[in-house]
Amino acid sequence: MDIMVTTIINGILMGGVYGLTAMGLTLIFGVMKVINFAHGSFLMAAMFLTYYLFQLTGIDPYLGLVITLPLLFAFGYYTQKVLIRPVFKIERDVREPISVLMLTAGLWIFMDAFALALFGAFYKTIRTPYKGAVLHLGDVIISLPRLYAFLTTVILAILFYVFLKKTRLGRAIRATGQDRDAARLMGINIDRIYNVAFGIGIAIVGVAGAVLMPFYYVHPVVGVVFDIRAFIIVVLGGLGSIPGALLGGVIIGLVESLVAQFITATWTEGIIYAIFISVLFLRPEGLFGFKAEW
Amino acid sequence: MEKERTHAKTLKIGRITWIALIGVLILLVAPFFIQSPAFFQLMILILWYAYLTTSWNLVGGFAGVLPLGHATFAGIGAYTSSVLFIHYGLTPWVGMFAGALLAAIVGVIIGAPTFRLRGAYFALATIAICESLRVVLENMQKFLGFDINGARGILLPLKGHSPLDYQFLDKRYFYYIILVMLAIIFYITYRIARSKLGYYLVAGGEEKEAAEALGINVAKCKLIAMAISTFFTALGGTFYMQLVHYIYPRGIVSLDLSFEIAFIAIIGGRGTLLGPIVGAVLLVPAAELTRTYLGGSYEGVHLMLYGAVLMAVMLFKPRGIMEPLEALYRWVLRKFSLQPVIQTDRSV
Repeated sequence: MDIMVTTIINGILMGGVYGLTAMGLTLIFGVMKVINFAHGSFLMAAMFLTYYLFQLTGIDPYLGLVITLPLLFAFGYYTQKVLIRPVFKIERDVREPISVLMLTAGLWIFMDAFALALFGAFYKTIRTPYKGAVLHLGDVIISLPRLYAFLTTVILAILFYVFLKKTRLGRAIRATGQDRDAARLMGINIDRIYNVAFGIGIAIVGVAGAVLMPFYYVHPVVGVVFDIRAFIIVVLGGLGSIPGALLGGVIIGLVESLVAQFITATWTEGIIYAIFISVLFLRPEGLFGFKAEW
Repeated sequence: MEKERTHAKTLKIGRITWIALIGVLILLVAPFFIQSPAFFQLMILILWYAYLTTSWNLVGGFAGVLPLGHATFAGIGAYTSSVLFIHYGLTPWVGMFAGALLAAIVGVIIGAPTFRLRGAYFALATIAICESLRVVLENMQKFLGFDINGARGILLPLKGHSPLDYQFLDKRYFYYIILVMLAIIFYITYRIARSKLGYYLVAGGEEKEAAEALGINVAKCKLIAMAISTFFTALGGTFYMQLVHYIYPRGIVSLDLSFEIAFIAIIGGRGTLLGPIVGAVLLVPAAELTRTYLGGSYEGVHLMLYGAVLMAVMLFKPRGIMEPLEALYRWVLRKFSLQPVIQTDRSV
């Protein structure tokens, strides 16, 4: 019974991080109607940044957010501004910007291969003081780094939600997602909104990378694991829905830890894909029927 | 606007036939002049990639969707024909069609629900199918009673030089086989591009709603394209198996191969006849060189090249390398005044 509870809690905690990755993806999709295939690669970049910050200067990943967050935002902002926007402009009137999909797929492969050339194919971990720390609640054991990561996720999700609903910039982002032409007529600079939205999406995934580092490893293609999970999560939760992304993340985290605990770890991927494919066939609009926020 | 519409698909019939005939002729006689095995290996690889990307192009280029998991079908082809050969001694010449049929069925099953949705769903579904097939193959020792040996993969029983078993010691046989296969898929693409189906596909890919309003069953057309494309991709998978005699899940059903196929076609020029071939001729040798010199611990670094070139192409020549090449071709024609006075393909 305690193993069951521990497994469930661990699954939920890990699911929070998956949800965080998916949240950035769903934001970018909601506003630009583009799936950012390079999403996992940005996560990988954030993890390497966190790793080297810690190894070279000893800055804790959570403290390091002061540095990683703005850097990742800028990375996303300029990626959109320099790389994606010119391609996007050509397809402005197209409902499904396929070229942009291809561009981000190219970016994905490029970044992963570049990291491989730069950092080598080794798995890297960091040793924070709280690395192996656990919390005992009776017989239930909770890993502290995972708990911190989950709490960060929840706080960030709430902040982000309030930002979208209450602030002027948040409203402008939502308006652009709902109808870019109408938004432009209302005087919104939609080019800037795209840059900012992409930047925020990448900044969110940057946070995910930072909070992952204390209990996970980094290597050049670590992004693929999270990338594919994030794709699945956004479809589960409904493309463009933020609560859907978090809930979908928790579901995937739960499935993963339960299967690993009670069936066998090598099958987790298979089961997750099976769920994904059945959702795609049966309820492509998402499991919960959340309306997209934009 | 007019410039954008000058698509390679509007290449005149006469011209493209000439290019194809000359190309085939050169390739046919090449083995009589070149003996180096390394060169043959490279040529076979180029032709193999050209074949796979041309198959991909039927759905990825003409149908206006983005399949990112075509290695799935190559894997299905390779595994099916080999398993049938090992268990029943069925020659891969026949077995490959069983694999191809299976691949076509899987392709239609993936396409049926996703073609109705946004393009992104289809791209995601193909990635997920590719990864899940790999996981299944890696984790199963037996599949429906056939030994597939999980992650260790399967080895083809060697028969020496045995044409009936699709096994040859001399690489030249493989060279001619893949050349013929490429010619066949090229011809099929050429015919489809000029058929009603081809125009329906392009119309459905560019303006789905408009095409549907005109009474075109866009989803059905895309499914037909998907079936043909996956069928031929699977044949390519069997070819690869016969060439190297050994496959393991990660070696063929991988996202790396899927991306290579898609990227070569996109870089060359998706939706054009010659684009995939031009892409393969330009990229495969470069990738092979990187692989040779950076191989070992840096497996996969050659993909950096693909990624970078793909981004550059998307930024500067979204229609692919074929676009500037065609411009160059026109310029040469004009320069040496071989062009007829009236430019027929301008009037479109």
